[in-house]
Amino acid sequence: MGTNLLDAELVKRVQAGDTAAFDILVQKYQHKVVNLVGRFVSDKAECYDITQDAFIKAYRAIGNFRGDSQFYTWLYRIAANTAKNYLASRARKSPGYTIDIEDAEHFEGESGLKEYATPENLLLTEEIKKTVFAAIEALPEDLKSAITLREMEGLSYEEIAEVMDCPIGTVRSRIFRARDVIDKELRPLLE
Amino acid sequence: MSELDEKLSVILDQYSDDEHSEAVLNELLDDVNLQYKMRRYQMIGDVMRHELPDRINLDLSHQIMSQVRQVEPDESSVAIEKTTGWGFALSWAMLKPFTGIAVAASVAMISISLWQTAPVNPQPNSDGNQLVSAEQQKIEKLASQPIRGNAVTVSSNLGGGTRWTVKQDTPAIQQKLNAYLVNHTEYSNSMQGLIPQARVAGFDAEQ
Repeated sequence: MGTNLLDAELVKRVQAGDTAAFDILVQKYQHKVVNLVGRFVSDKAECYDITQDAFIKAYRAIGNFRGDSQFYTWLYRIAANTAKNYLASRARKSPGYTIDIEDAEHFEGESGLKEYATPENLLLTEEIKKTVFAAIEALPEDLKSAITLREMEGLSYEEIAEVMDCPIGTVRSRIFRARDVIDKELRPLLE
Repeated sequence: MSELDEKLSVILDQYSDDEHSEAVLNELLDDVNLQYKMRRYQMIGDVMRHELPDRINLDLSHQIMSQVRQVEPDESSVAIEKTTGWGFALSWAMLKPFTGIAVAASVAMISISLWQTAPVNPQPNSDGNQLVSAEQQKIEKLASQPIRGNAVTVSSNLGGGTRWTVKQDTPAIQQKLNAYLVNHTEYSNSMQGLIPQARVAGFDAEQ
């Protein structure tokens, strides 16, 4: 079961009423959707709100998804349209809040109130990146090559086996071991 | 490090012919810890591909799912997406040729109805012959009259100049000339040409 088949199976389960399956899809694609929306909207807080809207729209519409395209293509289209509609509606209406002139100096707008747009989150993100790359650097060469070819180059297991001149089973094992080592470093940061 | 973790790693990649994958998926849906592991595996890939947002929101999936649990899947939002996104462009693209055909059909209908209601032109042969005959009579009358005063005919002054000898008395030639005249009047780039109903044909030697 490849990624696309995994998505197809998850979609099938969501359509059958399994909400937990949608949670897996959200966890899988949340960062990609945030990045996509971030190309339309520069404000990070708005970016997360639009991402949330896009996922909810996708959930509401998933009954109509027939699998003619890949799930992520369909999801990205919804996210892009949600971002465009948001920009269009924002251009039409004026800000929906009133502030006193005395408070204006300290006013950051709606986005300033969102807890995820904090320096702590920025710091956490930096810490996650640093930890992952440090763990990759510390990996034995065969594991490092396997995980790099898979995640950064996007090669399939067969292609990696050809490049590294080893059986597919070895590739599968090396990728998993690399992930497991990195995960052990990453886990404490996210708990 | 467990076999299940390895299967999870495999299931996330684009390679697996494992017949137990569905069992892993069932396990994944039931086991929260396994879900967290999947999330971290996914995050490792996102970091390596530089796809991790600048400010990560660890609660995003929880926030989304808490909203999702309050809504029911329906078809209405799909319609909204279609009218505001690709669907709108597609529907316009599909309608466009039909609009062109409709306009062309309307123009054709108007043209046909105008053609049917327009008065029928008189027969050029019969009337044309009559006109030419009348003009011929006038010319003959003028030619027979004596020249008054000091005026002299050009032909008598020039003597051997270029002369067009038209055999106007031949009925076939008269008919042909008149047909040319009528056709020219009808189709020339003038008001008569544009309004074929108002037809002026013939010639007058006095003008």
